[in-house]
Amino acid sequence: MKYSKRKKIDIFYQGIITLIALIGLFLLIAIFGYVFKQGSGLLSWDLLTSDYYATTYDTYYIGDLGDTIYERPSNLDDSVYFSSKWGIGLTSALDNEGKPIILVAYIDSESPLNSLPDKNNEGEFVRITENQALGKVIFSNYTIILSSEGPENAANLFNQANGIIDMITTTSGKGIRGSILTTLYLIIMTLVIALPVGVFSAIYLHEFASKKSKIAEGLRRLVEMLTGVPSIIFGLMGAAVFIPFTSTITAADGGNLISGALTLAVIVLPVIITSTEEALKVIPDDFRQASLALGATKTQTTFKVVLKSAIPGILSAVLLSVGRIIGESAALIYAVGTAIKDKVILTERSTSLAVHIWSIMAGETPNFELASAISIIILMVVLILNLLVKVVAKKLSYQGGKKT
Amino acid sequence: MPNKYYKHLHTFITKHNRTTDKITQGLLLIPTVLSASFVIMILIFISQRGVSPFLPSQYGNDSVNFLRFITGVTWFQPPNSYGIFFIVINTIFIVFLAGFIAIPISIFTALYIAKMTPKTISIFFQTTIELLASIPSIVFGVFGLGVISKVVLWIANLFGKQTAGGISTLSTVFVLAMMIIPTITLLSISAIRAVNLDLEKNSLALGASKMQTYFKVTLVSAKSGIFAGIILGIGRALGEATAVSMVAGNAGSGPTFDLFSTTRTLTSTMLLGLKETAGLDYDIRFSVGMILIILIILTNLGLNYLKRKVGRFS
Repeated sequence: MKYSKRKKIDIFYQGIITLIALIGLFLLIAIFGYVFKQGSGLLSWDLLTSDYYATTYDTYYIGDLGDTIYERPSNLDDSVYFSSKWGIGLTSALDNEGKPIILVAYIDSESPLNSLPDKNNEGEFVRITENQALGKVIFSNYTIILSSEGPENAANLFNQANGIIDMITTTSGKGIRGSILTTLYLIIMTLVIALPVGVFSAIYLHEFASKKSKIAEGLRRLVEMLTGVPSIIFGLMGAAVFIPFTSTITAADGGNLISGALTLAVIVLPVIITSTEEALKVIPDDFRQASLALGATKTQTTFKVVLKSAIPGILSAVLLSVGRIIGESAALIYAVGTAIKDKVILTERSTSLAVHIWSIMAGETPNFELASAISIIILMVVLILNLLVKVVAKKLSYQGGKKT
Repeated sequence: MPNKYYKHLHTFITKHNRTTDKITQGLLLIPTVLSASFVIMILIFISQRGVSPFLPSQYGNDSVNFLRFITGVTWFQPPNSYGIFFIVINTIFIVFLAGFIAIPISIFTALYIAKMTPKTISIFFQTTIELLASIPSIVFGVFGLGVISKVVLWIANLFGKQTAGGISTLSTVFVLAMMIIPTITLLSISAIRAVNLDLEKNSLALGASKMQTYFKVTLVSAKSGIFAGIILGIGRALGEATAVSMVAGNAGSGPTFDLFSTTRTLTSTMLLGLKETAGLDYDIRFSVGMILIILIILTNLGLNYLKRKVGRFS
C-alpha cells in the first residue's frame, strides 16, 4: 500500500511523539532498576532491625568448659569453619571499608558464648550472636586470633583453648531501625496534629461558610497558596517558628521530632483540606436535607451524616499525607536535623528514612548501597500508597454515583 | 396540627439550632484561620530572620552589606561578606534549561496519552507518569548522583571537557527536568482532554490530517491549561532542594554558564554545609530563602501575565 506524502509526514510525527512518550517509562524503569541493582543486596531483615552504629563488646570466659562436644549443624555452609568445643561457626567477610574480617556465622544455643561477663559494665552479660565480627581474641593458653588470619585458623585456635582472657566483638551496624522508628513517630504525630485541623477547616469552608462569603474565599486562597510553597521554605519556617516554640514548652534544645511533626503538619494541611473538601463536594445535598428535615441541627447533620459519608475522602487524604511525610527531606533537614540516631527520643534530633539517605549521601564518601536499599523501601511504600489511593478514589466515585 | 403549635415548635427548633450551629461555626473557624495563617507566618518569620544579618543592631560590625549581598558574585568572603547575585542567575539559567528540555517532552507525552493511544495503553502510560510524580526528591538525588552524573561525565569525556565527577550544571538540569516532566504532563493531559471534541472533528472534516489537527487545533485550544502546568512545574523546579543539592556541587563564585562546571543554586546554598544552628552563617540562609520566595513570586506573576497574554489570542 502506498501512502500519500501527507500521510507519510503524519506517520513520521506519530513515531516521534511515541518515542518521546516512551521517555517517561524509560526514566521510571531506569530509576527502579538502578536502586534495585544497588540496594537489593543489602536489603534484609537485619538491615531493618539493627542499629546504625556498631557496638563493641569486650568479654572474657573463665570457668569449666566441660567435655561437651557441639554438633556441627548439617545445614551450615561449607565456607563456615566450626569449633565443636565452643559451638561457634566462623566465616570470612568484608567490612564496609573492604577489609577482611571474621564473622560469627553460627552459635549453638547451648554454647557458653551465649552469656559472657561484660568487661565494660560490671555485673552485666554479653551475648555473642550471629553477624557479629570477631575482633581480637586472647585465649588462656596465650594464643591470639587476628582477623587477618582467617576463620579456619580461628576455629582451630578455639578448639585448642579452654578459656578466654579477652575477646572483642563488634555488631555490624549500618541498620536503619532508628530511622524507621523516627519515620513512624513523625507520621503518627503529624496526622494527630494535622488531621483534626485539616478536616475541621474543610468542614468550615464547605459546610458552614456561606458560598458568597469573601472571608471564606480569602481563607481558602491562603490555604491554596501553601501548596505552592517549596518544602525547604517550610523547613525554614520550622526552624524559625516551631523549634523555638517546642524548645520553650518541652525539654528540647534545638531541632526535635515534635518541631518536625509540626512542620510536616503544615505541609500536609492543604492536602488534607483539599481532599476532604473534594469528598464533601460529592456528597449529595439530599443527605443533608433529609437529615435537616428530620429535625437534626446543622451541627448534627454535619458530624453524623456528612462526615460519615466523607470518610473515604479523608482516608485518601491520610494516604496522600503519609506518602508526603515519608518522602519529605528538605523541610526535615532544617526542622529536625541530620544526626542519625539509634535511640529515638521525641525531644531530640533523629532522621526519617529520607533524611537518613541525605545524611549518608551528603558526606565525602556517599554510601550508594545503603542509600539505594532505603530508597527501595521508600519507593515500595509510596507505590503501595498510590495504589491504595486509587482504590479508595474508585470506591468514593462509585459511592457518589450510586447514591445520587 | 394547629397552626399556633406549629409556629411555636418552629421558633423553638430554629432558635435551638441557631445557637448550637453558631457555636459550632465559631469553633470551626479557629482551625480554618489557623490553617490560613501559616502562609502569612512563613512570610513574616522568614523575612524577620532573613533581614537580621543586615541589621547593625543584631550583628554589630559583623552585619552584612545588603548591596553587596544582592550584587555579589562570590558567595562568601570572610569575615562577613556574602554575595547572591550569581546564585540567582545560576538558578534562573538552570531552571530555564530544565524547562526547555521538560516542556516539549511533557506536552508531546500528554498529547500521546490523551489522544493517540487506545485506552489501555493510555492508562498504562498515565500510571507511569503518576508513579514518576510520586517519587520523592531524595530518590531522584540518589539516581542523579549515581547515574545522571556518570552520564554527564561520559558526555564531558566525549567532548573532551573537564567535570568534577559529573557534578555539574548539566546534571542539575537533567535531574530537574526529570522531576518536572510528570507535573507538566499530568496537567497537560487534563487540559488536552478538556478540549471540545467538535473542534477536532471540524478540523478533520475540513481535510486537515490528524497531526495537523492535534498541533493546530488541540494544543492551541489547550494552551491555557498547559501553561498552568508549566507554571506549576517551573515553580517546583525553583524550589526543589534535596536532589539539586546532591548534583549541583557548591561553586564558590560565578555566574557559570558552562554546562560541565559545578554550580550553585539558591536551594543548594541553603542546604549544603549546614552545621551550626545559630549565628550569621545560619541566619544568612534565611536571607537566601527570602530571595527564593521573591524569585518564585516574581516568576509566577510573570508567567501568569504571559499566560493571560497568550490566552487572549485564542
